[in-house]
Order: sequence, then structure tokens, then C-alpha cells
Amino acid sequence: METGLSTTSTRTVTVFKLHERDGIGGKQPHLPFLVISSKSSKGDSVLVILDPKLDRDNYSIFFNGLRERGYNLTFRSPKDPKPAIIEFEQPQFSHVILFAPETKSFASDITPQSLVQLLEKDTNILIALSPKQTPLTSLASEFSLILPPPGTPLISHFPERDTPENVIPVTPTRNEILSSTLAPVWFSGVPFSLQNNPLLVPILNAPAESFASDSEGDNGANALVDASEKGGEGLWAGSSLGLVTGFQTLNGARATWVGGVDVFSDEYAQKEVSEGVKSGNKQFGADVSAWTFQESLVLRVDSVSHHRVNETTPRETYTTNDRIVFSAEISRYNPKIATWEPYSGIGDLQLEFTMLDPHVRTALPPVAGQPGKYSVAFRAPDRHGVFKFVINHKRRGWTHLHSSTVVPLVPPRHDEYPRFLSAAWPYYLGAISTSLGFLIFSALWLAGDDRETKRGKSTKTE
Amino acid sequence: MTTKSAYLLADNVSPATVTNTSSLLRIIALALISGAAIASRLFAVINFESIIHEFDPWFNYRATRVLASQGFYAFWNWFDPTAWYPLGRVVGGTIYPGLMATSGVIYSVLHALNLPVDIRNICVLLAPGFSALTAWSTYMFTKEMKDESAGLLAAAFIGIVPGYISRSVAGSYDNEAIAIFLLMFTFFAWIKALKTGSAFFGTIAALFYFYMVAAWGMLSVFVFTLHKFSPRTLGGYAFITNMIPLHALALILMGRYSSRLYVGYSSWYAVGTLASMQVPFVGFQPVRTSEHMAALGVFGLLQIIAFAELVRSHVSSKQFQTLLFASVIGMGILGTLAIVGLTYKGWIAPWTGRFYSLWDTGYAKKYIPIIASVSEHQPTAWPSFFMDLQFLIFLFPAGVIMCFRQLRDEHVFVIIYAVVASYFAGVMVRLMLTLTPVVCVASAIAFSSLLDTYIDPTEPEIVEDSSTDVDAPQTEGSSNVAAPTPKKAKKAKDAAPLPSGPLSDIVSSVTAGSFKRGERPRGVFGLDTRLAVIVHAVGMLIFFVMHCTWVTANAYSSPSVVLSSQNPDGSQHIIDDFREAYYWLRQNTPEDAVVMSWWDYGYQIAGMADRPTLVDNNTWNNTHIATVGKAMSSSEEVAYPILRKHDVDYVLIIFGGLIGYSGDDINKFLWMVRIAQGVWPDEIQEPNYFTRTGEYRVDDAASATMKNSLMYKMSYYRFAELFGSNQAVDRVRGQQVPKTGPTLDYLDEAFTSENWIVRIYQVKKEDSLGRDLKSANAFAQGKKRKRTKPAPRRRAIQ
Repeated sequence: METGLSTTSTRTVTVFKLHERDGIGGKQPHLPFLVISSKSSKGDSVLVILDPKLDRDNYSIFFNGLRERGYNLTFRSPKDPKPAIIEFEQPQFSHVILFAPETKSFASDITPQSLVQLLEKDTNILIALSPKQTPLTSLASEFSLILPPPGTPLISHFPERDTPENVIPVTPTRNEILSSTLAPVWFSGVPFSLQNNPLLVPILNAPAESFASDSEGDNGANALVDASEKGGEGLWAGSSLGLVTGFQTLNGARATWVGGVDVFSDEYAQKEVSEGVKSGNKQFGADVSAWTFQESLVLRVDSVSHHRVNETTPRETYTTNDRIVFSAEISRYNPKIATWEPYSGIGDLQLEFTMLDPHVRTALPPVAGQPGKYSVAFRAPDRHGVFKFVINHKRRGWTHLHSSTVVPLVPPRHDEYPRFLSAAWPYYLGAISTSLGFLIFSALWLAGDDRETKRGKSTKTE
Repeated sequence: MTTKSAYLLADNVSPATVTNTSSLLRIIALALISGAAIASRLFAVINFESIIHEFDPWFNYRATRVLASQGFYAFWNWFDPTAWYPLGRVVGGTIYPGLMATSGVIYSVLHALNLPVDIRNICVLLAPGFSALTAWSTYMFTKEMKDESAGLLAAAFIGIVPGYISRSVAGSYDNEAIAIFLLMFTFFAWIKALKTGSAFFGTIAALFYFYMVAAWGMLSVFVFTLHKFSPRTLGGYAFITNMIPLHALALILMGRYSSRLYVGYSSWYAVGTLASMQVPFVGFQPVRTSEHMAALGVFGLLQIIAFAELVRSHVSSKQFQTLLFASVIGMGILGTLAIVGLTYKGWIAPWTGRFYSLWDTGYAKKYIPIIASVSEHQPTAWPSFFMDLQFLIFLFPAGVIMCFRQLRDEHVFVIIYAVVASYFAGVMVRLMLTLTPVVCVASAIAFSSLLDTYIDPTEPEIVEDSSTDVDAPQTEGSSNVAAPTPKKAKKAKDAAPLPSGPLSDIVSSVTAGSFKRGERPRGVFGLDTRLAVIVHAVGMLIFFVMHCTWVTANAYSSPSVVLSSQNPDGSQHIIDDFREAYYWLRQNTPEDAVVMSWWDYGYQIAGMADRPTLVDNNTWNNTHIATVGKAMSSSEEVAYPILRKHDVDYVLIIFGGLIGYSGDDINKFLWMVRIAQGVWPDEIQEPNYFTRTGEYRVDDAASATMKNSLMYKMSYYRFAELFGSNQAVDRVRGQQVPKTGPTLDYLDEAFTSENWIVRIYQVKKEDSLGRDLKSANAFAQGKKRKRTKPAPRRRAIQ
């Protein structure tokens, strides 16, 4: 997609690619009447790879929720060869749900490598894990997630409850992905510790009192003590552990890792967390899938433009010290009506004018009265070279906005320099006086006395 | 007739007929010389094709195309965003536009005449065309030195001498192509101005000087390198700015000050300097840099002397001496103070590094690696003097001595030129070019004296009376000799006392009509002696022509863009890898894909592939070049951020190991290391690239730093696979390459040309999962990652 300005011949690189795939949502922001199906910005086809051991009916609330939101679900078991997730290097679905937490062997098309390939090709993935070791466990480490040793689920003794220790009600911390009024969520599964990767988006963290243990009982507590004596190395405990963690790749695809598939089950959805309070699992499942399938927190740069102050058309090159206006149009995807809407809500957008290093870094504020438009005027540096207008806006959970437009900044033309300089008056005076002197001299020479020639003539005549 | 004649001359021909015939013959001879000069430069077109050669000409060609297609003002203000990405290059202000303007004018004129000639053909054939003009201007110049016959010989020499052809074959579209003509013509005009005291010729010299300043960016004798190194460079014109003042100064010191000198020099200097300052790249250099100070100083000196002459003619000699004494001291003090003050203020920069590099040839190597790295800046090897000049190099000293014999003002010029040019030709290979014209002139003087002596039919008289008051008889043919009449010679003798001693005896023995009164008569007796010498002389000429033709055809006509080799059956095999690769880039990459390569190939990539480059042959920014050097000589992990920062999409390297092309990047690699080391001495160290025993190797014994460097990896990536189970051998280095070649994580091989000379790699995008590309690659190949544990978050409790 060329969201950049195409009227200039300057280089416009828009890394941000939304319409690459022929998903329905993508290309119809201007044709809303066609859209009946998906709420995702990416397309509505979903492949659910469901372990036969898991009863499909036990997840009916989650799956039906997806169907209601307009997704076409296709089910297959991990060992079925068809339908393949990727064929001829083309992903076949817009989203993949991988609910096979205990499957040890998959069909040949599902490998850790092919799943990464899917993400690189802009397919979103929702992956469930379990305490058991599967091929997916090794994949998790590629996403900067550190899983505890096999067979160590999360347990917690608090709060006091009638469920086993490994079935834990988790109170979500507030974040933009989850609904604000979310009741505690039942969770059972494996936690993971997060490495320092800015692409990770924590969605649900473990309760502070919880820890990973060797068994479903309490026997693992000793290991915990050992680990804490080593300064916390290898300690899978506490609220920094992730239970459900999103990952947004550099190209914008999203993957969500869920520590236990039961979070989405009907059983947990209907289970009460406390007297009379239904668990938040149903809403949680909807929120997580909405984020993963790029319904929520999706932005894009529609276009960028630049021109000189007091002009309207862009130039191929700018002159040093020009005053330049740069503006960008940014939209946010609205899943309710499945359209892109102009979005002025970003308060901290920045523009950089870069050649190797940013020469200008300035706020790019929204323009009042023009929804979705952000604009700034600035003076170009006094330095010629090939510059780039760079928008690089990366916020956790939100789509990364990246746009880079190349424009050469050239020195003034030979006729754009000031003509008369006050500093040059000595030279002007010198030139003028020499010219005058020459004129006077010539005049005197020509009009002057010619006695000598006369004398010469006279001598000749004599 | 009191003289005897060795052979009979037709004496019934009127002098007018002789004059007319000889001038007609001269014109025909000059036309033929021009034809030969042009024709011998066409080997390149015939053996290969009509193509621009080498490196710099590609830029000149590209600039000329802009000039031809977009007009002069667009060219003048051209900012090239694709060069030196992302710094860009202000082309209009960093070139000498004379060459492009010349082609542009020719192009416009031809098109105005409805001759739709392609600009490329104009560029290709410009150098041969101008070589014909050079022959003519050399003729004019030498004619001032001796006579027309010497002029014709000089024209013939310069027309075919390899030292000049090496820079002016068809396709060698460089500043030197037109500059030698301008050089010779400026010198001619200067000599003419000096001889006649004409402000007109002084101005002509100044105009051609201006043209030369506008044209010659590449070469300067006094401080040459300089151009390649810094934007404040000095062009070849500095040669003229220094030759002419040096000549004037020498004349003053010899007590030969005259009003002719004053008029000629003043008009040349004033007009020429003002004109040359109109070239933006020159700017205020003529009044600020040390290289131009000589011209300014001599100008000032001349004014003082002229003023002193004026004063002397008005006051008594006693007063004058006091006055002179006082003013000399006063001015000495003032001048020193002024120079010290100006240098201190930084307005003039007399002692730049390039200044030293000329006097101390080791200077550049020690301190400025980028200068020393250019092969043309290496000292000249002795064989190349013979290769480029053949028998002229032996005649050259004889010609200079001939000049001493007469030592008129213009001969002083040739002597100074000869001395200076010889020194600089020894310093740098490239400066052979400036030596060549004076060698041709001096040799022509010597050779024509030889011919004069032996073709002259006058037999020496045995009689005591040796006053030869008869004009030398006219001879026929192109060897028509207007030997200096005794009168003239006597005049010259009066003007310049002959150097006495054995040397002068030898010299005088070969010069006709100059034996002294009262001595035993000397001269050439009989026809056999004459024939013997002349046959040998002609033989030398014939061998010279054969040598020139051979050298031109075999050594100097290769475009270097296209290589040729011989098949086993002797037929020519064309190796066209460069163009293959450049066209691959042109057709398979996006227009804005940035290509990184060593700077040698920058102009070619810009010209043929039309892609932005990081560095090119206009090596104005040492740091940027060092950045490329660092990327090439570091490991992949270190190089990758550099590549990403500069938006590099492709990396292009030259690898000769398969076919034995020795000018490849591995052989240039140490220069990259050295230049990078100059800027990052902590990160890049040259000794790390040698084996423990100090050898530069690429086989198993190579050092780890060498093997990990990007350049090594790119060069030998998959090289061993080519040999199957056999041992892979690098044919340039003659070393066996390790069987398991290097692996690349951050680059992908994109293209390798037919003979592997050009290899192009694509820089990978960052991993979408934020991993480093090495582990991403390991994952893609199915390697298991080591299990990790959460990092400790707090300190251990003791």
C-alpha cells in the first residue's frame, strides 16, 4: 500500500502495511455498505486448530462470540493435513487460533518456523500453552517469553476458595486492551516470565502471591525458596509473570500467548468468582481476541504531505532554511462499524527531520477542527543533504506508526542569494571609483592637449 | 657561392615558391599529424566499443548528460541527492565545469546544425578531438622555441606519445582530455606575450588560463593529490599559476626584467585571477592558499620593480641606492608581518598536508591513507618512463641543453618546466602527463637540431675565413629548415653567454654554423656521414611509432569497465561482469535502493546502475569513506547497525578470486582497514588482519578478525561450493580457501556475476520478532535455543 504522497517524485517509504492482504476489512473504509461480516481490520477468516481432546462445546461461548462478531471459523485438528495454514507461501487465513496446548506432534505444515512465517505475512495468532512440553514451548522463547520447566503450573493459595490451587481468580490490571469493568478472571495454566522486549504487550499478569510449582500441590515451594536464595534467578513467581501476553511484530501482526486454554472455556466463563459475581472470562476472551485479531487499538497513517509555508503543493526539493509544513492523516479502526475513522487522539506524536541523526524533532500536534490531521510547521536546518520526515510512534498495545518520506534539502540556487550586501560596500565603492577613474582618464586622454602630436606633424611637414 | 654543397639543390626555384610550398607542406603535415593523433586513440572504440572508460569519466559523463538535457543553470545548481547518501553532493560547486561545458557547447552547436549526435559519442570522442588541437598548440609553442620544423616534430611526438595517449584515448572523458591542450596553448600565449610585450596575448593567456581553471580538476603538479582529498582542492591549473610566476621570477633574478615582461605578466595575472575566481569551486583560493601565493608575490614584485625603474629614471643614482636600501628592508619586514598575521588569522592556509606531500613523498602515506591509497598517486617506476616516452626520454636532456645554448627568455621557461615536471613525474605516476609535453618539446628541439645539422648540405670550409654571412640555403621537403641565421645566433650569444666547458664543446659540435673563429673548422663532411646519421635517426622515429602503436593498442586502450582476455585459441574473450551487475541493479532493485560499495565504484554505480551510493570517487568526505571502511572491515554484528543507519539496501563488492582479477576488494581491503583505523583507532586495528607471522592471508591461516570481517565473508561466501570436492583456490592470492566457507546472517546473496567479479548482497530487514538476525537465522534453520531462566531481579540476600 502506498499511503505516502504520490504526487512528489520523492521517495516515500511507508513501512506500515495494512492492505497487503485481500481481507475484507482492509480495503473498504470508503465502502461501508459492503461490509457486513468482519469487525477485524484484517479479514474474517479464522482457522481454529483444536486438539480433539478439547471438547469444542466447552468453548462454545468463545467461538460463538467470534461468530457473532462476524468471523468465519474453520476447525481442524492439529494432525489434519488440511486446510493448511500456509500454502505456496501464502497464508490461507487471516487469523489462526492454536488451541492445542498438549499436542506433541502437529501436521507438517505447523511448525514453529511456519508460525513465525505466518506472523511475518501479517496473520494474527492466538496460541494457548499448557504446563506440558510441546513444540510450542520452544517457540515461546523466540517471543522473549521464558517458560518454567515442564510440568510446573501456576498455583496460588490466595484467596481462599473451594477450587484447586491451580485454578486461580486473577484480577486484571487496568490496561487499554481489556474492558475497564472486567471482573476477575479464572485462570489455570502455565505462567511465563518476560524478557526485555519492547514488542511484548502484557495483558494479564499473575497475582502477586502466585508461583510456578512442580505439581498441582504445594511441593514445589522448596524450589522457590532455593531460587529466591540465588537472588531470584529462575524464579517464576510474583506479579511480573505473564499469564496472557500479547506480542506485536515489527510489521504489525499480533500474536497472543495464553498460559492455559481454559481461560476461554464455558466452564470458567460461567463460574462465579465470588458470591453472585460472574467471572470476567467471557468478556476477557472477547477483549483478547479483539486485540489479537486487530480490532482494537489499530491505527494507520493514511497519508502524509509536506509543502512550504504559504504554498499548497509539495516540492521535490526544499531549500535550506525553508519553512516547511508537514502534516499526516491518521485513522483508527472502529470495529463497531468496521470502518477507519479519522483519529485525533494521539497527544504525543512526534516528527523527526532526519539525516543520519534527527536535525529537527518536534511535536506533531492534532489540528483542531480537522479530525485525524496532525500538522506542524518548522524551519528546515541550515544543512543540505537527503533528509527524511520520520514519524515513529510506538506505544504498547497500539499499532506502531511508522512513516518515512525522503526529501532532499538543497542549498539556494545561484540566484537565490541576496544580491546586495551591506558588507560588500567597500568592493562596490572600489568598482565604482575604478570605473569612474577610467572614464575620467579616458576623457582627459581623448580630449586633452595634443600639442605633441601637432609638433610631430609640424616637424614632419617641415 | 662560397660554400660547397654536399648534394645538389635546385637553385632555379623562386623564394616565394619555396615559402608557399613549405607552408602548404606544413599544413598537410599538421593535418596528417592530427589525423594520426585521433586515429591512434580509437583503438579503444575498435577493440571494445564506444563506451565511457574507468571511473571519473563516468561522473563527467553523467554531469554532461544533465547539462545537455536540462540546460546550464540546472547543471549549475545541480544538487545530487544520490551521491554520498545521505549527505548529497552540491555538484555545481564542487566540480570544474569546463569539460562538461565544452561538451555541452559542442552538443548544442551540432544540434543547432541539425546533426543529432548522441551526447555519449561526443563525450567519447572529445579526448581524441582535443588531442589534435594539442598537437597544433604544441606546434605553435615549439615554433616559438626554435622553428617550424621543430614544431612539426613536437606536434608529431605529442600526437602519438603514450604518456599523453594514456589519458586521452576515446572514452577517457576526463579533464586531462582537454587540459593538455589548454596547458600548451596558455604557455604559447604566455611566451608570445612575453616576446612581444603584448597585452593582447597576455589576455589571451589569461582567458585560456581561465578555461583551464574551469576544466582541470584532476591534476595539479604542485600539489596534486589534493583534489581527491578535500573539497578545497587545487586543480591542475595550479601548475600554470606556478609555472608562469616561476618563469617571471627567474627572468627577474637573471636581470632580464623588461617592460614586455611587466605588461605580459600583469595582464595575464590580473585578468586570469579575476576570471578564475568566477569558478565557484575555486572561489577565493587564488588570494588565500599558499599554492597561489607565488603568483601573487611575483605580481607584487613586478609592480615594485616597475616602480623602482620609474623612480630610477627620475632621481640620481646615489639617492636611488639609499631609497632602494630603505624600501627593501621596510618591505621585507612588512611582508613577513603580513604573512604571519594572515596565517595566524586563518585567512590564508599556507602549510596544508597536501603541500608537504609533494616535497616529501612519504608524507601522504604516513598521515593521509586515503591519498596514498590511490594507485595513481604512487611513485613512478623507472620502466614507465620508457614505456610512456620511449626514445624521447633520451633526447629530452639534449633538448634542454639546446635551450641553454641560446637561453632566450622562452628557453628559460622550457628549462624551468623541464626541471619541475621531471621532479613531479618522479613523485607520482599520474604526473607523467604534465612531463610529457615538455619532453616532446625538448626532444623535438634536439631532434630537429640533429636533422638540421645533417640535412644541411653546407660543407664546412677549410678556408680560415669562417664568417658565414650567407643565409642557410633552403632545403626542400618537410624537413625544411630555417636554421637560425648566424646573425640571430650571434645575437643570442650576446644575450646569453654560452656556458663554457666540455659540455658546450659537445653541444656546439652538433650545431651547425657555430664554430668559433680561429679554430679548426668543424662540421659534417660528405654524404655518407649524413646518410648514416639520418638513417639512424629515421630508424629511431620508426621504432618510436611502432612502440607507440603497440603500447596504445595493448596497454592504454582498455576501458576497464569491460575486460578482455584471450581464449586458448587466441581469440578475444570479453569479460563484462561489471556492466552485467550494474544493469542487474538497474533493473531489479527499487530506484531508491541505496548501494554501498568501496568508493572506487561509486561513479560507475551512479552512472550505469543509477542508484544512490554512499561514497564515490569524489573522495571529499574522509569520515564517510571511513564509515564504509569500518562496515566492510567489522564483523556482521557491528556492521549491521551502520548499514541500517545509512539505509543501505545492497552491498556491492568486487571479487577476483575465481577468475584472477587482481584489482579486487580483498586486495584493496587493507586500505579500507587503514582508512577506518584513521577515524576509529580503538575499534579497527590493522595488525589484527594479519596472521601471527605478519602475512596477509585468506586461507585457513587467516586471522579471526579477517575471517569475521564483512568483506571476507562476502567475498568467499559459497566460494568453496563452486569447487565441489576439490580444494577451492583463490587465483589472485594463490591460496587455498577453507572448505567450509563463511556464513552470513545479516546479508543475503542477491546477485553474483558470471565470473564472480561482482557480488551483490542484500541487507536483511530487522527481524520482525525483535531478535537479532543471528538467532533468528538459527531458529529458521531449526536450531534449538538454550533454555533460559528469568533474570535475577534483586540482589541475593547474604
